[in-house]
Amino acid sequence: MSIVEVRDIVKEYPSFRLEKVSFNVDEGKITGFIGRNGAGKTTTIKSMLNLIHTDGGEVDYFGKPLQGNETDVKRRIGYSTGTVNWYPRKKIRDIVNIEKRFYDTWDEAAYRKYMELFNLDESKTPMELSEGMKVKFNLLMALSHGAEVLILDEPTSGLDPFSRNELLDVFTGLKNDGVAVFFSTHIISDIEKCADDIVYISKGKIVAAMPKEGFMEKFSEEGETLEDTMLRMERGDFNE
Amino acid sequence: MSNIMLKELKLSASPLAYIFIAFGLMFFIPGYPILCGAFFITLGLFQSFQAAREANDIVFSSLLPIAKKDVVKGKYLFVLLIEGFGFLLMVIAAIVRMTALADAPVYRQNALMNANLFALGAALVIFGLFNLIFLGGFFKTAYKIGRPFVIYIIAGFVMIFVFEALHHVPGLEALNSFGTENMGLQMILLIAGAVLFIIMTGLSYKSACKNFEKIDL
Repeated sequence: MSIVEVRDIVKEYPSFRLEKVSFNVDEGKITGFIGRNGAGKTTTIKSMLNLIHTDGGEVDYFGKPLQGNETDVKRRIGYSTGTVNWYPRKKIRDIVNIEKRFYDTWDEAAYRKYMELFNLDESKTPMELSEGMKVKFNLLMALSHGAEVLILDEPTSGLDPFSRNELLDVFTGLKNDGVAVFFSTHIISDIEKCADDIVYISKGKIVAAMPKEGFMEKFSEEGETLEDTMLRMERGDFNE
Repeated sequence: MSNIMLKELKLSASPLAYIFIAFGLMFFIPGYPILCGAFFITLGLFQSFQAAREANDIVFSSLLPIAKKDVVKGKYLFVLLIEGFGFLLMVIAAIVRMTALADAPVYRQNALMNANLFALGAALVIFGLFNLIFLGGFFKTAYKIGRPFVIYIIAGFVMIFVFEALHHVPGLEALNSFGTENMGLQMILLIAGAVLFIIMTGLSYKSACKNFEKIDL
């Protein structure tokens, strides 16, 4: 069942256009959102969160439009950008103590569990964290309020291979609990490892939005891995 | 207290916003343009907006499970709270000067504005200008603070000059009443200042909510 429906999102910039972007994110599935730098991944995600004003299109969560249901929707989703870059000099504990008040569903046990798993120290400030640790902190906040959908912008960028692996395992665990995980990345092996569905964007247009197996059947040539296929498709795009 | 207000007070505010509330006591300073106290309080608020911008506070707030208009509401409530406490100190100072110190020579021999109800109304106009020009201007971009603040400084100081000069205009001497002289007029001027403050803040809030909806963060 689709838990997020993105329909015909259009966003015009002077030198870039997001063209009628549409796809679904299904319950209990991991959806990898892939595209090269500048393809429109972050713009799409920001549109999905009402952080930018779109020029057309709609986003529904849980069968309800985001517009008009923003508070309820945001309570039920978790969002994380690549790194934390807010309140760099405030203690993590102080930031968390404020943020958790906004969520009725705040799960202190989950918060403690992920604090330990990610080896985070509450007495530190965001500016004292490495880039990888910032990603983990941001993710921790998204995971600690019982979100039914996680929308994560480049969560694995900047992480060491061990942490990346751990994180992908966390995604799989969440998926098994029925959580929908939608994450953008330009690291194809992340998608290869854990995604069920692929949404592939290039130059502001959705090239494909389908199950990973279907994607491979449609686009892969014999003996190609997902990475080979995507590199060939992007190269072809470049050569055109 | 609402969560967004608590966030404003604990995460977004610069300590200077709290410290600068004390400038409300400038209403006690003799021979000084006392309305500058209102300006300095808004300077502390400006510092808060600068600190919040550096901390990406607006994006953080917009990702919280609240509507975008509540992000605007939080900022306005914070500003109103700081202005409210600053105004309270001004009221205390004005009451002391209008009663216990009504005949103090140091205040009587003062070419500048006297601390009375008219001065309180004028302080509310300065706060109203800050809310209208700076706050409203800030929410056009949720980023640029320099331009609206400079415009506010110009408008604010023009008004301070006008308020300071008015009682020197023949026929308007009553504006500089001491103690409880001309209480009816003073009360009307205070209410007029309050009405202007409410109108300017209300207009600003309405346009800020509208503009903030359209901004790309």
